[in-house]
Amino acid sequence: MVRSLRGPRQIAVSVFVVTVFFIPGVCLAQTSELEAIRGIVKNLEQQLQKALSRIDQLEKEKASTSVRVDQVEKSVQAVQSAPSSFNPAIGLVLDATAEHRAKAGGDFNFRAAELGVAASIDPFARMYSFMTGSKEGFEVEEAAAITTSLPWNLTAKGGRFFADFGRLPKNHPHEYAFVNTPLSIERMVGGESKADGVELNYLFPFPFFLRATLGGYNKIGEGNERLDDTKSRAWSRFTYLARLNTYFDVTDHQSIELGSSLAYTPSVRVAGDPSGGDRTLAGIDLTYRYQPLDSTTYQGLTIGSELFTNSERVIRPNDLIKREQSFGGYSYAELKLNKSWSTGFLFDYAPSIESPGKKTLSYSPFLTWNLSEFNRLRFQYSYFDDKVREDKAERGNQFFLQWTTIIGAHTHGFRGR
Amino acid sequence: MMRVLSGLKIWRIFFAALILVLLQTGLAFAQPIRVIASWPALADIARQVGKDLVNVESLATGVEDAHGVPVKPSFVPKLNRADVLLLIGLDDEHSWIPALLEVANNPKILPGQPGYIDCSVGVSVLEAPTRVDRAEGDLHPKGNPHYLLDPVRAKVVAQNIATGLARNFPQHQQVFEKNLKSYVAELDNWIGRWEKMATPLRGIKFVEYHPEWVYLADRFGMKRIGSIELKPGIEPTPNHLVGLTQQIKEEKAQLLLYGAQNPRLPKQIANETGIKVLRLYSGGGSQPETNTYIKWIDYTVRTLVQAVGQS
Repeated sequence: MVRSLRGPRQIAVSVFVVTVFFIPGVCLAQTSELEAIRGIVKNLEQQLQKALSRIDQLEKEKASTSVRVDQVEKSVQAVQSAPSSFNPAIGLVLDATAEHRAKAGGDFNFRAAELGVAASIDPFARMYSFMTGSKEGFEVEEAAAITTSLPWNLTAKGGRFFADFGRLPKNHPHEYAFVNTPLSIERMVGGESKADGVELNYLFPFPFFLRATLGGYNKIGEGNERLDDTKSRAWSRFTYLARLNTYFDVTDHQSIELGSSLAYTPSVRVAGDPSGGDRTLAGIDLTYRYQPLDSTTYQGLTIGSELFTNSERVIRPNDLIKREQSFGGYSYAELKLNKSWSTGFLFDYAPSIESPGKKTLSYSPFLTWNLSEFNRLRFQYSYFDDKVREDKAERGNQFFLQWTTIIGAHTHGFRGR
Repeated sequence: MMRVLSGLKIWRIFFAALILVLLQTGLAFAQPIRVIASWPALADIARQVGKDLVNVESLATGVEDAHGVPVKPSFVPKLNRADVLLLIGLDDEHSWIPALLEVANNPKILPGQPGYIDCSVGVSVLEAPTRVDRAEGDLHPKGNPHYLLDPVRAKVVAQNIATGLARNFPQHQQVFEKNLKSYVAELDNWIGRWEKMATPLRGIKFVEYHPEWVYLADRFGMKRIGSIELKPGIEPTPNHLVGLTQQIKEEKAQLLLYGAQNPRLPKQIANETGIKVLRLYSGGGSQPETNTYIKWIDYTVRTLVQAVGQS
């Protein structure tokens, strides 16, 4: 019995010893393994943190290197471009036509090569000039300085410029929606409203656009031969201008612009008339625009009209000097079909200043192809019902193909909108 | 006695007038800063930076072609009264803003003046041409101006706006900086979400009408294979359209993106190739879902991802 119990007892003791000493040892070993693993993980975490910090640091260094490279590049560019930094913006417009008159034949007409320059003079003023060469010769069409920092919403302009009379008279012909200057503008205003003088503009402090202009000039009109402005004269022989211009958004896509202009010359000397007399040239301009905002580069409609009235003493065809009042004007519509094509129609009513009963009516459909913003072809047909011009070559059917191109920087700014 | 009473009356009138003047001055100081932005996305970022201190208005509505924003005289009184003007820059507004500034009679927002805030300063620009020649189309000499389509670059814009506002109104600098920090944090949060959301866009090939999607493509890994325009701003020739159609088929481009351009050509190309056409504006604010900068980018990314999923 005792012998039989010894074996099991030994086994139990052995098991006990193993349990007491070995398993804790195993547990201890497992715990130390866990600790080791924890240690490894912690170490890895620390290394990962270091790696991420290093990546951040390298990215920052790269960014600052890029900034330094950028700065060096900009410095190099600044040094290289410094001599040209104060050069004005320069652009050149070429306007040429091929023409055919049914009663006179054809012609290639080099209408204008117009060089435009513009730049700031200083913080107080800017300057611009348009110098034009044509088959008539070379001339400075405009060269004017304009203030930029007068108080009370005032702007002053001085030099040679297109006086702020009407809408189209103060634009260069290549900016028109059609080929030729309407005869009503040629006869009544004298073509482009070119003038040597001064102007003052005032922007009313209203929530809507309202702008007033006052001006004083030698005379208004490229083709105005009433005055030789190379000689000094009494102030009564100058021309004085007043204009009001306003604009309304009818909807987001439609607008109306309205202007009224008055040019008054107190004394105009007529050859053979010792007393002379005053001259009043007035105009009203109305422009309707449909410009859908989300498709304005390829859709739109513009309808523009101007009505002029002129009152002055003139030499009648029978050599009698008499005060005559004449009315004339034009109206046109231009429809933008897509980004490249537009079409329209111009009607023009141009009276004779000397014999207002006589007039020239013209009807001109036109089609414009914009190859790009800077390259334009235009075809126009005109019919002249003319009772005024003695030259019969100007009557009847006329055909025009106009090519207008621009290089460099070229903008006529706000007035060319 | 009468003299004393009369003197008192004068003092009363004087003090009443003084109070009135102080009230007016107080009101003037209380008036918000008048901010005019060229585009709605800039206007929204300005609102986030300026909060109650600013009254912000955008001239464009977001649906316009950048080269076709009308020169409206109705913008002139707004520019006349503006304290600061925010611009995309990189000549993006060259066809309309300079003409308006000519007649706005506001010297403080002219180029170079403190109120003229060019938001492109410091933006890392893509597609700056190596050769500036109109034979290459109607280029932007300083680089592609459509950088607002990258929300990471928008953080630079927000910084520029905060800096510009603080330059003009240093008394509010701390407020602008605090608002900027908060807005940039919000943007960072959204950028993380967009980067995850835009995973399906990686490697997707697309065609655009006009080069305006390069920044978004660069950010989210899309690949542009061509554009409808022959060159920037130049409408395509028939030969170019034939070549583009062939290229779409060969490269299996999935998306054709256009914005303020005529939909006729995109629809024509879609009919011939089966490519999915999307009208997405490269300027926000065109619809209620895009009337803030974050909503605009979110709508854009979401729409692209959905379109890729459907194509």
